[in-house]
Amino acid sequence: MSAFAAYTIIGLSLGGIFALAALGIVLIYRVTGVLNFAHGAMGMFSTFVAWQVFYGYPHPGMPSWEVTAEAILAGLGFAVVLGLFLELAVFRWVRNRPQITKAVITIGVLLTLQSAASLIWKNNQYHLPIYIAPQTSTFMLAGVPIGANYIVIVVAALGLAFGLAAFLRGTAFGRAMRAVSDNPTTAALWGVRVDAVGAVSWVLGSVIAAIAGILITPFINFDTTSLTLLVVDSLAAALIGGLVSLPLTVLGGFVLGLLETYPTIWIQSLGLPRLIALLVILAVLIVRSPRGLPGVAK
Amino acid sequence: MRGNAWRFAAALIAFAVLARLPVGLDAGFQFDAALAVIWAFGILSLVLLYGYAGQVSLCQATFAGVGAYGAGMTVASLHGGYLLGIVVGVLFATVLGVLVGLPALRLHGITLAMVTLGIALVFDKYVFQDHLFDWFTGGAAGWQVSSASLLGISVDSSKHLLASYDVLLALFLVCAVLMLNLHSSGAGRRFRAIRDSELAASTMGVNLTRYKLLAFAMSAGMAGLGGSFYPLVAGSVSPQPFWVFTSLQLAAIGVLMGVRYVPAAALGGFFMAVVPDVLTRYGHGTFLNRAYEISFDWFQIAVGVLLVLQLILLPDGVWGDLRSHAARIRGALRFKRAGEVTAA
Amino acid sequence: MTMLRLRDVGVRFGGLVALNDVSLDLNRGEILGLIGPNGAGKTTLFNCITGVVQPTQGSMYFEGRSLRLVPPHERARRGIARTFQNLQLWDSMTVLENLEVPMDAVGRRNTFSDALGLPFSGYSERAARERARAILHVLELDGYGDRLAGDLPAGIQRRVEIGRALAMRPKLVLLDEPAAGLDARETERLADLLRTVRERFHVSLLLVDHDMSLVMRVCDFIYVLDFGKVLASGDPAEVRNDQKVIAAYLGEATPELSAGEPVPELVSGENPEVTAPRKEPGEVLLEVESIAAGYGHLEVIRDVSLSVRAGEVVACIGANGAGKTTTLRAISGVIHARTGSIRFGGRDITGAKPERIARMGLAHIPEGRGLFPRLSVEDTLRIATDTTGNRAPLDLAYDVFPRLKQRRRQAVGTLSGGEQQMVAMARAILARPRLLMIDEMSQGLAPTIVRQLFRLIDVFREQGIAVLLVEQFVESALEVADRAYVFEHGSVAHEASAEELRRDRNLISGSYLGATADETAAIAVASNGHSNGNGHFPHPDLMEVVSMRMPAALKRALEERAEREGRTVGALALDLLEEAKR
Repeated sequence: MSAFAAYTIIGLSLGGIFALAALGIVLIYRVTGVLNFAHGAMGMFSTFVAWQVFYGYPHPGMPSWEVTAEAILAGLGFAVVLGLFLELAVFRWVRNRPQITKAVITIGVLLTLQSAASLIWKNNQYHLPIYIAPQTSTFMLAGVPIGANYIVIVVAALGLAFGLAAFLRGTAFGRAMRAVSDNPTTAALWGVRVDAVGAVSWVLGSVIAAIAGILITPFINFDTTSLTLLVVDSLAAALIGGLVSLPLTVLGGFVLGLLETYPTIWIQSLGLPRLIALLVILAVLIVRSPRGLPGVAK
Repeated sequence: MRGNAWRFAAALIAFAVLARLPVGLDAGFQFDAALAVIWAFGILSLVLLYGYAGQVSLCQATFAGVGAYGAGMTVASLHGGYLLGIVVGVLFATVLGVLVGLPALRLHGITLAMVTLGIALVFDKYVFQDHLFDWFTGGAAGWQVSSASLLGISVDSSKHLLASYDVLLALFLVCAVLMLNLHSSGAGRRFRAIRDSELAASTMGVNLTRYKLLAFAMSAGMAGLGGSFYPLVAGSVSPQPFWVFTSLQLAAIGVLMGVRYVPAAALGGFFMAVVPDVLTRYGHGTFLNRAYEISFDWFQIAVGVLLVLQLILLPDGVWGDLRSHAARIRGALRFKRAGEVTAA
Repeated sequence: MTMLRLRDVGVRFGGLVALNDVSLDLNRGEILGLIGPNGAGKTTLFNCITGVVQPTQGSMYFEGRSLRLVPPHERARRGIARTFQNLQLWDSMTVLENLEVPMDAVGRRNTFSDALGLPFSGYSERAARERARAILHVLELDGYGDRLAGDLPAGIQRRVEIGRALAMRPKLVLLDEPAAGLDARETERLADLLRTVRERFHVSLLLVDHDMSLVMRVCDFIYVLDFGKVLASGDPAEVRNDQKVIAAYLGEATPELSAGEPVPELVSGENPEVTAPRKEPGEVLLEVESIAAGYGHLEVIRDVSLSVRAGEVVACIGANGAGKTTTLRAISGVIHARTGSIRFGGRDITGAKPERIARMGLAHIPEGRGLFPRLSVEDTLRIATDTTGNRAPLDLAYDVFPRLKQRRRQAVGTLSGGEQQMVAMARAILARPRLLMIDEMSQGLAPTIVRQLFRLIDVFREQGIAVLLVEQFVESALEVADRAYVFEHGSVAHEASAEELRRDRNLISGSYLGATADETAAIAVASNGHSNGNGHFPHPDLMEVVSMRMPAALKRALEERAEREGRTVGALALDLLEEAKR
């Protein structure tokens, strides 16, 4: 029983990462019409920036929490710049192109980011011990010890989801974003600054991807490619939400995390989770294909 | 018919010229040359599937990999001849192509891209690497094909790279000519009609199911044909050459070179195989007293950036201008770009 | 002999009924016309016949064989061809190639023999090419054979689409708005072409178009659809004189829409009456000069010029497809004017982005109301105040539309048509633009609501907001407007004051129903034979009664009573009016 609980915790925290990343994908897709295959690569690069600040430079006399904070800020700061750059230099100019063209552009961005990262950090395996909570602290839930950092992930995922929802619902800019995501042409007719909304959504998406990347790193040995490829699982989670609904996307992330973790109780296989993600993608698309996804134009 | 005669003549001349190129170069470059043709098959398969029929696919390297493993399995595990290995490789790839084509019947554009990317990832990380499929992949070490021979080309002979290259080149040129014929044939028109407007195509009598599956099958088979030569050239098979990023590179370079043009395949293959090696060998030294090194990563960065630029600047994006003057400009740019990249 | 037989065909998309019990017969060699207002279901019917959409009920027979479960490409093989309203040519292929695809497909040519360059296929390729050239010759498209289909002007592209349909050796060709984007001269040539096509190729035609002159001239028999049902059928003369048809086109609510809709208290008491004196218009606010615009290759408007002064209400009227909506979209920046200039408040806004134009004080309520279905009423209204920067309290809007306050947390997409229009108009109340452009405000609304909305426009004028109005329903528009532009075939055919136009309804109904300027058939019938030989017009109020939307219950009551008394509806209505006046 406690093994099952342990796997559930792992599955939920993995799912939290998927949910976070998927949130960013759906946000960008809804507002700008770009299905960002480079989402994982963007998060990966920001994460490596954080790593670089943490490990690459000496921090004499600084308490560890300060170093952690500095690293995270660096990573998030880079994410902001990256998101802004992509919107201003690339995606602003292709707003009216077909979706597949925009998606292929993100493939180009993926390759560029991935090889740039490979250039700087080579192909080694890394470990980034950014622990928000102390590594050894645990909570007891129903007699099961749960590592605090797992909780951090789930809390972060839910917190960001709620925060995003509150922002979208309660602020003028959030309203503007929802208007653009409902119908960009109509929004323009109402005087909404579609360009500004596009820029903010890219920045937000990029930052969320960075958070997802930073949060997952304590638990795995990562390299430039593995983080980049997390985009496929995130896409599966986003599809469960129909590329439209934020709450369903978050739910989809958690569900996918569990689906990918439970089989490992019985089958030891590194690749099996990938198969599960693909099956989820196929299932969602085939089941919904006659009428299409709510978020995807036919 | 006259057009066809010209094409055959051009192909023969191309063969005569290109076959001489790697002669006298060292084994490393000869390997690159053969690999270039294998990747050229991959891009050619994308030209058929995406360029002609309009079906996005991000898993062409997967088809090539299935061809490679199929051939390797036949030769190393079943002890068949290499010719049989090629047949098996192509067959497996074609079957996989049809299977991938089935969801494609209902999906378009970005959803199809997602599915094919998922397939590329699953085969890379699972099928090609999991113990469950050892019978197919030969385990972690992959198949060792050390004593196979094809048409007298023996893997452990010193001339085998050049000979494999010649066979590959000949096959590629045959396929290229067939592709050009296909383009202006009835089937080719039907593919292009599906690409330009599926709705009109089906309403005007084109059987969408049959032709989409046909496009996937033929495309996968072609990629598989190139891939099935990989064990012959490299002496072994492993997942690395056929991983997700190769599929993405094939797509990127294919689109960059012009995914509707057959010559784009050849040029793209050349870039994928030869340029990285050239960069590794010669792409370092000192400049203004500072040591530098241009590695493969630079090449891929260039591909990514150029792809983004090309898609932004060409007015119709991926579906660029098919008019002759655009093709001429692109042709000129291609030569210019080729000069820039290899100048190191 | 009946070639195409449809019986009780119905199509439902979720809750929306697109087609309802449609029955239709098409005989061999006939040119059948299918007309009806926007949204009547004509394209859906085409999609059903070609197999792209499956009917949820009913049956379809082609040459005696059922079309149930037959896929589109198989229907093509049996002889059903079609052209598309928004042109679905294969742009990257040449004209000849466009014709060859259906030829091959129907002729079951072998896939691979071409690729291998076998001798036999070369022969059949040449034969196919010859046939294609012959078709192009009949369509007067010689010389276009090797041009890329995507490069050609729209008029030529339409003919290529017809050629492509003919290349299939069809028995029936469905033509979906072949005259869209064509000017008067091109439309005439099209009419001749269609007759030629029928003769030379021995095909039957089923034609859908908004251009009445084309339909009336070319068709042997016409079906009229409205809201997915067959409203009337007959030969052109019968249909043109049919009361129901005129009413549907000139503007009368149908039972489906107004049944059960309670009459809301729309405009609350404080607003000035309609009869307040109209102020003199101020300086020129909007100046549009010789603009041309369209979508892709389709040029919908050519050489449109108009102007609006501050404090004016100007109407744009004309038949569907005449270019009114496109003009508004070109002004607000949604599409780009290809030539000409647009100035607003003295500044050049040609080519400016829509959001910038909106922030300058030019608000556009497009066809379909331009709302955000998933946003709540309150959020939508807040966006109106967000973008103008003035912190106008939402109560300003709620006072005028108390109903909206009740529904303020509801998603706009779930509101009724009238309520949605209220939200759209509320934007003008909150954002206070200098010029408000409204496209088809009354579409789908009950007449009482429409009347109140028009009163609201008057209020806007009082408050200094100029209004540019596009309306299919003429009477209402002319009542509130100062001036009007009559659009025809993509440009402004007439400009006159509302007074003049009200007097000269000839101009308008001629424009709508394809009559020439001399015909007064529509007016005569509307007055049920009361016009005398001199062409005098009937009582103006009658026109209003017949053409303004009536609640269904009222209409039914009128019709029943008229039947009982053995009179015509028009005469009865006239009498009732006289009584009410007393």
